[in-house]
Amino acid sequence: MAAGRFVVREGDNSRTVEVQSDGRVLVEGSDRPIEVRAIEHGEYDVSDGDRRRRVFVASGTDGREVFIDGRVFRFEVRSASERRQEGGHHLDSLTAPMPGTVIKVLVEPGQHVRRGDTLLKLEAMKMELPVRAPHDGVVKAVRCREGELVQAGVRLLDLG
Amino acid sequence: MIKRLLIANRGEIALRVIRACSEMGIESVAVYSEVDANAPHTVAADRAVAIGPAPAVDSYLAIGKIVDAARATGCDAVHPGYGFLAENPAFASACIDAGLRFVGPQPAVIEMMGSKTAARRAAQSAGLPIVPGETPADQSNDTIAGAAARVGLPVLLKAAAGGGGKGMRLVAAAREMDEAIDGARREAQAAFGNGTLYVERALARPRHVEIQVFGDSHGHAVHLFERDCSAQRRHQKVVEESPSPAVTPRLRARMGEAAVSLVRAVGYRNAGTIEFLVEGTGDEAHFCFLEMNTRLQVEHPVTEAVTGVDLVRAQLLEASGEPLPWTQDDLSLRGHAIECRIYAEDPEQDFLPQAGPLLCYREPAMPGVRIDAGVIEGSEVSVHYDPLLAKLVAYGETRDVAIDRLAAALRHFPILGMRTNVPFLVTLLTDPRFRRGDIHTRFLDDHAAALIAAAHVEAPAEAFAAAVAMDAPDGAGKGARAGRGARAGRGARAATAASREAADPWTLLRGWRNG
Repeated sequence: MAAGRFVVREGDNSRTVEVQSDGRVLVEGSDRPIEVRAIEHGEYDVSDGDRRRRVFVASGTDGREVFIDGRVFRFEVRSASERRQEGGHHLDSLTAPMPGTVIKVLVEPGQHVRRGDTLLKLEAMKMELPVRAPHDGVVKAVRCREGELVQAGVRLLDLG
Repeated sequence: MIKRLLIANRGEIALRVIRACSEMGIESVAVYSEVDANAPHTVAADRAVAIGPAPAVDSYLAIGKIVDAARATGCDAVHPGYGFLAENPAFASACIDAGLRFVGPQPAVIEMMGSKTAARRAAQSAGLPIVPGETPADQSNDTIAGAAARVGLPVLLKAAAGGGGKGMRLVAAAREMDEAIDGARREAQAAFGNGTLYVERALARPRHVEIQVFGDSHGHAVHLFERDCSAQRRHQKVVEESPSPAVTPRLRARMGEAAVSLVRAVGYRNAGTIEFLVEGTGDEAHFCFLEMNTRLQVEHPVTEAVTGVDLVRAQLLEASGEPLPWTQDDLSLRGHAIECRIYAEDPEQDFLPQAGPLLCYREPAMPGVRIDAGVIEGSEVSVHYDPLLAKLVAYGETRDVAIDRLAAALRHFPILGMRTNVPFLVTLLTDPRFRRGDIHTRFLDDHAAALIAAAHVEAPAEAFAAAVAMDAPDGAGKGARAGRGARAGRGARAATAASREAADPWTLLRGWRNG
């Protein structure tokens, strides 16, 4: 793959990014081609022909992470030739971020919640950790009980 | 002099002490849990002893194992660092009983200052002003609520046995009381094994100003000026600086004298910190004793920067029976230093601690900047311990210069693989109220949401372009791999190892996953 087209999404902001055969990159919505030079593993020198910046990139389970000037952006990158996933319906399952005890479940199935609402409280590392809704939605299922000891990664509830 | 020192801690503070040992010709012995077998502190020490499984209660809090490790390796002293066993009088006693010098104050003093009531009594009898409060003997909700009414709302509920913000609740209205008492008691019980609560008047918009003190076994006592730690979130410090933007020379002198009089009154030895709440401004501001921390503080580098002393070296000298290396007249305050704590936490999920491999971690090297870190690129950040990754300290001739340096260092400090508070700190340092020094202990709690929202900026085109660099190996990103010698190779290997691990979803824990 000498060149290629990608769809790069950060939250609601999705852009087509095209890598040209000369290695320069065209980003949708921006007229200047961008030059990206590898410096060392994960470190790039990025220039739009005017200003030069040092950028760091890593690929985790969280998507593609890009550090630039004290800010971190998280992108989902896919090839433009991949078919877009069908349907707009999205189901998130909330997982325990670390081993802990469920001390309070504040919602029940069918309940409408707003982004930022506290759904349940965990106790871990001797602290109470509220687990909040990442977006507006409806609780599809509660998969834990108060008092239950949960391991990291265990599904706590489904939010649709 | 101490010949061989066991460091009963991990992370950045263990490394800090190991470096001091190496400078002073003292042999260092690290202890490590199973998950820390290759941790930076384990590797840095002259010797290292395995002390058990990952949970701290089976390793870094296991007094018997640590004392045994010190004896087995022929140590003559133990440094507790901060946290873990640092303020546990039973640990200090166990060390002394085993014939080891304990780098810290006497067990009886640790015990006294560890009890909120005994500490307040000691401070009061040394002539220090204290915040009104009480510890009800009967710990029922009704009695505690009654004590709160006598003290006067708003009140802070605190764990009588602890500190560090755990088991602490601010109660502004009587109707919030029951829930707050239950929550505080639960946390206090979990964190300190003691759910006893203490009720204290919550001052209006106070600043947190603490005085670094030092005493020795020859009766000397000095203070090393103040640190302002008003930027705290739920009583956990986030930014610390010295001098305080709110302390005048006269107030500094009064607070310093008060602190030294408490050191003398209790015969305090080694490094300690006396925390005060300060209300009002200028020479007329008044201060109240809050508590005394009988250990080295996380934020000690701030004091080291403005006074030019080495506090850990002084601790090791004092513990060896030597007199303090300085008198009060030798000590002066020059310039300004400011520290921020870089945590693996997600500000958008209520600062939930994060864990996983550090895929990218590159420290900036800049004039006037010091970094005390407990991790390197490729390190695994464990759920078992405090999520502090590094302390970033900047020094400058003025507060503005120091803050500019700190902000510049953060903008050149890439940390990837997990969420951190770096973008939040960048935003905080540019906040006009913070720049003016116009904040109080509840500033971050009141404004965290707005600061988090302000940290959201739209991704620039360069970020989109860089995001695909590794997907187009023959296109973008190709170019002069300007080698940086050994460092480049090492970084690449560490990151590759880390990426491999990251492929395992159980290794990289996080709050949400699309399902």
